Amino acid sequence: MTEAIVTEGLGKTFPGGVDAVGSVDLSVAQGEIYGFLGPNGAGKTTLISMLTTLLRPSRGRAEVEGIDVVRHPEQVRRRIGLVFQRSTADDTLTGRENLEILAGLHGLSPRAARPRIEEVLARLDLAGAAERRVGTYSGGMRRRLEIAAGIVHDPSLLFLDEPTLGLDPQGRAGFWAYVRELCAKEGTTIFLTTHYLDEADHLSDRISILDHGRVLRTGTPAALKEALGSDMVLVRPADRTVDLRPILRTIPGVVLAEPGGPDGGVRVRVTRAESFVPSIVRACDAARVELAAVSTVKPSLDEVFLAVTGREYREEAEPNHLAGVPDRGPGRSGGRR
Amino acid sequence: MIREYGTVLRREGLKWARVPIWVASYFVVPILYLVLFGQAFDLGKLFPSGVGGSTYVRGALLGAPDYFSYFAVGMVAFVTLTAALYSGTGILFDKQLGIHQRMIATPAPRGTLFAGSLTFRSFSAAWPAFLALGIALAFTRVPGLVGLSTRPSVTAVGVAEIVGAEAMLAVMFTALFLSFGYVLNTNEAYFGITSLLNLPILFTSNAMFPEGTMPGWLQTVTAYNPASMATNVMRQNLFVTSGYPYPPTVYLLGLLAWATCLVSIGLYLSARSLRDR
Repeated sequence: MTEAIVTEGLGKTFPGGVDAVGSVDLSVAQGEIYGFLGPNGAGKTTLISMLTTLLRPSRGRAEVEGIDVVRHPEQVRRRIGLVFQRSTADDTLTGRENLEILAGLHGLSPRAARPRIEEVLARLDLAGAAERRVGTYSGGMRRRLEIAAGIVHDPSLLFLDEPTLGLDPQGRAGFWAYVRELCAKEGTTIFLTTHYLDEADHLSDRISILDHGRVLRTGTPAALKEALGSDMVLVRPADRTVDLRPILRTIPGVVLAEPGGPDGGVRVRVTRAESFVPSIVRACDAARVELAAVSTVKPSLDEVFLAVTGREYREEAEPNHLAGVPDRGPGRSGGRR
Repeated sequence: MIREYGTVLRREGLKWARVPIWVASYFVVPILYLVLFGQAFDLGKLFPSGVGGSTYVRGALLGAPDYFSYFAVGMVAFVTLTAALYSGTGILFDKQLGIHQRMIATPAPRGTLFAGSLTFRSFSAAWPAFLALGIALAFTRVPGLVGLSTRPSVTAVGVAEIVGAEAMLAVMFTALFLSFGYVLNTNEAYFGITSLLNLPILFTSNAMFPEGTMPGWLQTVTAYNPASMATNVMRQNLFVTSGYPYPPTVYLLGLLAWATCLVSIGLYLSARSLRDR
C-alpha cells in the first residue's frame, strides 16, 4: 500500500527548549482516514503544522505523498488541503469570492475553478449563500466554508484540524457523511485531529493517541478498545440485599467485581463481555441467586483516551500555528517573531 | 506565478472597494489639508510685500510663486506617506484573523504575496497624491481660494518625471510599511513604529517647509530624504529649475536607489516571516 504520510523521528523544539513534539513515527496509507487524538498541548497542532509545511521540523523527516516537506514545501502544498480550527475566511468578501481567491492562489484558472467552486458550494449546502459576505454567515456556515476552502483545489490529502468545532449535531452528521464520501469516492486521504472522540471513533480507520509530544497508542478504534481489556457486565439480583461479589469473583477471567449502584447491582470487568454472560448466569444459578438483569457494556474511546493520557486537566502548551494567532513560540511574549 | 500575483491584486482591490469610508478618505483627506492647512498657513505673508519681498519668497520657496503652491507639491509626499503608513495593517489583520495562514498554506510563491500587495497598495498611495495636485490646480478657479500656480509650459518629459518620482516614492514607502506588517505581530508595535517614523520622515524633508529655514545639520539630512528628492523633481518641473543643486534626473536616480533598497528590505523581511519556521 502506498503511504500518504510517513514520518521518522519527527520532532520540534521551540526556542527556549520546549519540546512540542518529541519524536513521532507515523505511517498513513493512501485513502485512509487517520484520527489523531491528544489532550490540549499534546503536540497535535505542531505536528500538523510540520506536515503542512507551515513549521520547519527540528529533527527527523517527513514525507507527504513521497515528497519531503522540508526540501519541497511548495510541491507538498499543491497536494494537500487544510481545514483550520477557526474560520480563515475574509469577512469582507463573499463566500464565492473567498473560494475564487483560494483557487487562484492554488494556480487554478478561473475557467477551471468555476465548476469546482459550484460543486463544493453545492456539496456543503452553501450555494444559496455564495453571494453573501462571509461576515453575515452563521457559525455553522463559516465552518462549512472553511471546509470548502480546504478542498476547493481538490487535494489528494486533507488535513482537518478539529473540523467540527462549533458545529451543531446536524452539521457534524453532515460533515461526517461528506468526509466518508470524499474518502470513498475520490480516494482522498484524511488526517483528522479532534477532541470529539465519538467523531474519531465513527470516522477513523486508525487512530493514534499523542501526549507530551509522543505517540502512545496506534490502532483501529476497535483494537484500541479491545486492548484496554475492560468490557463490562452489569449484573442485578432480583433481591437487592444479596451480595453477588463473592459469587462472581469465583469465575475465572473476572478482573474486577465492584458495586454498581443502589439497586444491588454489581459491575464485573472482563476482557470479552459476551462470552462471560453464560458463566455469570451459571454461577448465580449454582448459588441459587435469582437475577433481575444482565447487560454488557463496551468501553468507549473516551475510556481508552483517559486510560492512556490520564485524567488531569491540561493547559494549552503548544503555540497554535493553525489558528491564525501570531506565532511567538512558547516562552516568548514580544511583538516580533 | 502571474495568476497568483493577479489573485492577490484582485483580493486587495475587492477589499478596498468594499469599505466605502476607506475609499472616501482618499478623496477627503487631501482636500481637508489643502483647504484647512494650505489656505490658512501662508508663509509668504510673513515676508515684506513688493518686488523685493516677492523675489525673496520665490528664492526661499525654491521657485514656487507662493507658499500654497510650494505646500501643494509637498502635499504629494505627505499624502503618499500617509496612505502608505497603513499598508502594513492589512497584513497584520490578515495574520490576526487567520487569513494570512490560509494564504501561506497555498503553493503560491511567497514573493507574489508581497509583490501583489506592494503593487496595489503603492497604486493606492500614489493616486491620491495626483488627486491632491489636481485639486490644488482646481483651486485657482475657485474665488477666494489660493491655488497651485505653475509655470505656463510643463513639458511631457516633465510630467513623466513627476509621475516617475511619485511612483517611486509610493513604492518605497509602501514596501517599508508593508514589511513592518509582515514582521510585527501586534497592532501596538505596528502603530508605535509608524508613529515614530511618520513625523521624522516628513519634517526632515522640504515637503512642507523650505530648507532655507532649517539649521545646517537638518539641511544635510533633508537633502538625502526621498520625500525631498521627489518634491525637488516636481518643483523643478512645475516652477523653475534654478536654485537646485542637481537636475531632476539626479534626484530620480536617488529615488531609484532608495526604492531599490527599501523594496529589497521589504522582500527580505516578508520572505523571512513567510518562511516555514
